[in-house]
Amino acid sequence: MSGGYITGGWGFVWAAYGWTALVLTGYAISLFVRLRKVR
Amino acid sequence: MVPNSQVSRLDRVLLAGAVITGLTAMFLGVYMDAYLHEGISIGGAGTALIAATLGMASSVLFLLMGDGFRKVPLGLIAVAAVCLISGSYFGLFVAPPEHFMGDVQRIMYVHVPTAWNGLLALTFAFVAAVVFLFTNDFKWDARMEAAVEVGILLAFLLCCQGAIWAKPTWGVWWDWDPRLTTTAVLLFAFAGILALRRFVDDPVKRAVWSSVATIISYVDVPIVYFSVRWWNSLHQVQSSPSTVSSQFYLPLRLNAFGVLFLMTGFMMLRARVAALRLAAEVAPPPEELAGELA
Repeated sequence: MSGGYITGGWGFVWAAYGWTALVLTGYAISLFVRLRKVR
Repeated sequence: MVPNSQVSRLDRVLLAGAVITGLTAMFLGVYMDAYLHEGISIGGAGTALIAATLGMASSVLFLLMGDGFRKVPLGLIAVAAVCLISGSYFGLFVAPPEHFMGDVQRIMYVHVPTAWNGLLALTFAFVAAVVFLFTNDFKWDARMEAAVEVGILLAFLLCCQGAIWAKPTWGVWWDWDPRLTTTAVLLFAFAGILALRRFVDDPVKRAVWSSVATIISYVDVPIVYFSVRWWNSLHQVQSSPSTVSSQFYLPLRLNAFGVLFLMTGFMMLRARVAALRLAAEVAPPPEELAGELA
């Protein structure tokens, strides 16, 4: 942080976007697997 | 109880309603931009925003009612992917850094849509629980189970994104602040409902008990929303069109609609899984087995 302004932080941004994409993709795959099993 | 494979007239009307309300919501959002850029009326913009939100919520309800549309969830997920990829592109590479938080603020473009839609999913779970208790129609039980699970997924993501944002801005991953604490309570309360459903074998008791538990747990949703206004909180209060730069709108809206479509697609597929499981659970045993048992 410099004078109240947060510098850098791209690592946190990529972590948030990457984790979100990973969790949503994983859930989508689990849904299709479960749907195939019950059919 | 069993999902209907026929596309009924009601399904067609409901889908038309969803399309009309969704498009209306989008046009109102664009109209709001026009208001703000010309500086005509902030009040008009707020009204448009409320109408757009109601339109989105109505779309979710309408779409979830039409079980006959087998391919709708896949279409929604595809549209969601387009919205989320383009929204993330604008959020990461086009929108300017925020005045104080710099580039870290870009987390807002996924965090806020996750929060809005997570609360919307749990609102739908509440509606489904109430409708089930009044109608005893197990379609609504399946929809409630789906909405609770997707709501938990989004609440979990919300907590993770919030922690990642909190570290560079507050200096800690987590704080027992009113907003964060009430959100954690929400997550565990609804996770408890899914756990309850796993432990109850009788479908009727399972549906009734989890409906009542959903209605009770839903009390926490408005508390989460208003916690930043009711108590001193590290978490900032809700932004409004008058406090957010217009350069932030596009990625925020694209991702908001992306998560909405994705959530709706997920809920439709999950409700189908729940309905098929229930159908298998209550189906009579095969004739040979029934003969042996007799």
